[in-house]
Amino acid sequence: MTPAALIETAVLLGLLVLAGGGYAGLYGYGRLRARPALVAAATACWIAALAIALAIAVVTPLDAGWKVLVVVSAIVYAVIPPATWRYLERLHVAEGEGP
Amino acid sequence: MYRSQKLSLRYFTAAIVLFGVMILFGLLSALYYLYPSMLFNVFNFSTSKILHIDTLVIWLLMAFMGAVYWYLPKELGHEVVGMRLAEITFWVFCAVVAVVALVFVFVQYGSANEFTLWFINQGRKYVEAPRWATIGVVAVMLVFAYNVIGTAVKARRMTGIMWVLVLDLIPLLIVYLDAFPAPTNMSVDLYWWWWLVHMWVESTWEVLIGCVMALVLMDVMGTSRRIVEAWLYIEVMLVLGAGILGLGHHYFWIGTPRYWLGIGGFFSALEPLPLLGMVIHSIYDAGMHRMKTANRPAFYWITAEAFGNFIGAGVWGFMMTLPQINLFSHGTQWTVSHGHFAFYGAYVCGVLAVFYVAKQKTAGTEFLDGRAWKWSFGLFNFGMIGMVMGLLIAGMAQAFYGRAIGGSTLMAFTQASENPWFIAGMYARMGFGVIFALGYVVLVYDLLTAPRRVPAPQTPMEPA
Ligand code: HEM
Ligand code: HEM
Ligand SMILES: [Fe+2]
Repeated sequence: MTPAALIETAVLLGLLVLAGGGYAGLYGYGRLRARPALVAAATACWIAALAIALAIAVVTPLDAGWKVLVVVSAIVYAVIPPATWRYLERLHVAEGEGP
Repeated sequence: MYRSQKLSLRYFTAAIVLFGVMILFGLLSALYYLYPSMLFNVFNFSTSKILHIDTLVIWLLMAFMGAVYWYLPKELGHEVVGMRLAEITFWVFCAVVAVVALVFVFVQYGSANEFTLWFINQGRKYVEAPRWATIGVVAVMLVFAYNVIGTAVKARRMTGIMWVLVLDLIPLLIVYLDAFPAPTNMSVDLYWWWWLVHMWVESTWEVLIGCVMALVLMDVMGTSRRIVEAWLYIEVMLVLGAGILGLGHHYFWIGTPRYWLGIGGFFSALEPLPLLGMVIHSIYDAGMHRMKTANRPAFYWITAEAFGNFIGAGVWGFMMTLPQINLFSHGTQWTVSHGHFAFYGAYVCGVLAVFYVAKQKTAGTEFLDGRAWKWSFGLFNFGMIGMVMGLLIAGMAQAFYGRAIGGSTLMAFTQASENPWFIAGMYARMGFGVIFALGYVVLVYDLLTAPRRVPAPQTPMEPA
């Protein structure tokens, strides 16, 4: 790992999780306030996360196993905020606290 | 107010005092980085740092115990059993902490023998307190466990949250004990010590604060029990599923077998997931219950906890948890940056929410708001973010110049410590540390002054 690659890789890894957080946060807030623009921004965050994951796979010197882990989790991650949201909604509706 | 809630208030007071002591020694420790020969051989950096991080552990533990004593009788509809014993052990706990602190300040260290282990310093980071004090802490924890379990038995009642809490206290105590046998093999010693540090902050404490947050959510936002419990179970499963084997990210370079590189990297890479779930949950609940909250500071601190936990632990941790990166970042100020951000986000923010819950109850107001808490909220967050950014830059400079370019030699370490980026980071940490300390001053002021009677808003503050 070259010195520059070290910093690049670490920053990309951090941004990956941050973009994931942006996706989750914006998705949740967008659904809460029923604002499609925010949900669209959330999708953009996920696309950014996927792009970062692909960048990690292409440009960084990480071992192949880590690259697979990063890309696969970025893809799988697409369904997690919506699934979480649906679960929370069902839970609240069952409690009579629904939206 | 229940008798055990009065004890809570005492625990909270002790916690806040120790929080202040911790900040003082944090500031002092930071000063050594600007004046490295300061107080040389009179009061060394190592002692100052010990006081900083040991008070951290103790004040958070005290705040957790206070939180449990606060909610226990409410949860189980029964006064806590063994209160006299609990009240006595509170003072025992304080006395132990005071004596250990005095020994650290005045004796500092001893020669490498049994006496030192028993009476001066065990030399294990975060839990340096000598053995006699460790035994004291265990006794306090046992009484605490007796209070909790005894109350459940007496009340013939148990809630889901309380089950999680009780089951969590067992490993919490066991991993505390596993760190002290003092084997002479350094690898073996570190192997078990990491069980304590990692299994606390990334497993058992994470579960404990999950329980506390669940209780606060019900209290402050009126979320229903079934919702917080269902959520708590999922969270606990995910946290433990990733967190236990995530332990491996500390076994990269201590002489443990090679397979830990894969295990540690893989499982700890999954650790941010439950933290993300908590962010979604908090947004959902905050949105749904926004109008109902009668305690704005607690509400803001819970929200800060969800985000801070995710960013400080999740993002900052993920950056350096793969072995190929950790090889360079290990033990630099980069780690310190993550340590501060994660402890603050996950635990300090959560505990501050509980303090405000207690404040509302003692003040007897229907609606808690005001100006001071906003200042302290702002100063704390601003100070902490500035500190961790400064530390991140300093740590990256160390990894870049000292490790990747310099090849980790002593010379390279020294040179990296003179690098302008590193020095700038150290100054930034000092400056933002002072801002953080101001947040503490405002916090204490705010908690001590009676709130102005703010009428509860008649109309919703914001359309949902
Ligand atoms: C005024 C604010 C603070 C200052 C100036 C400060 C300063 C410091 C310094 C100088 C160190 C020693 C780092 C080293 O060994 O190079 C340290 C370590 C540490 N501090 Fe703080 N601190 C502050 C607040 C906090 C807070 C609020 C927390 C927890 C929420 C905290 C948790 C820690 C931890 C966990 C370590 C050990 C980190 C490691 O060695 O990786 N500190 N702090
Ligand atoms: C609330 C949760 C967490 C807290 C309070 C916390 C705190 C800390 C502290 C204080 C250290 C420094 C230990 C020392 O050397 O003295 C540390 C190290 C570390 N943490 Fe965390 N952490 C948390 C969660 C995480 C997560 C979720 C990850 C990974 C995604 C992570 C990855 C790491 C790694 C890789 C190290 C070792 C750094 C090194 O090699 O120097 N942490 N953590
Ligand atoms: Fe860990």
